[in-house]
Amino acid sequence: MDGSSSGIQEPFDLIRLSLSERVFVKLRGDREMTGILHAYDGHMNLILSDVEETIMIVNEGEQATVSVAKRKMDMLFVRGDGVILVSPPSRT
Amino acid sequence: MDESPPPPPPDDAPDAQTPPPPQPHTTHTGSPTDFLKGVVGKKVIVRLNSGVDYRGVLSCLDGYMNIALEQTEEHVEGNVTNRYGDAFIRGNNVLYISAAEAIL
Repeated sequence: MDGSSSGIQEPFDLIRLSLSERVFVKLRGDREMTGILHAYDGHMNLILSDVEETIMIVNEGEQATVSVAKRKMDMLFVRGDGVILVSPPSRT
Repeated sequence: MDESPPPPPPDDAPDAQTPPPPQPHTTHTGSPTDFLKGVVGKKVIVRLNSGVDYRGVLSCLDGYMNIALEQTEEHVEGNVTNRYGDAFIRGNNVLYISAAEAIL
């Protein structure tokens, strides 16, 4: 029952198999981004290119609303401690 | 204080001489590591410190409690907010891992 169906032995294999692919990254502070994964390390520091970052902003008030800000960056270093989740593109 | 003194506390409380009864329903004993080995390949619920839940099949995990999940649903306050075919969760965010199906 090791690695179940997809032949993954350790969690970082998931990331290694996503190199050069577009990944979804969920970050602390209600931020998400997608970008092409170029490099990573054991801290989950990431190098991403062609990045679109989505920032959810909660507006306090009588009726709390959420607005979304987006921005694009060509090349980005993401510090690992901000990473919550990384999802590779769905493999078929 | 016109009442008689209150009755003594009930005497059926367990005292030091009675050993605690065994717990027959806890059939799964073992270390936390044994539990984690047992849930690999099973459906689990991973709760993060933020309160977000991830439900999916546990592919594997490492010593930092980094987790790889398959067929993952993200639950926020009871609602499914995202689905991922595969997901890597950085271990520092993990609050607990709960078995969502029977483990042997």
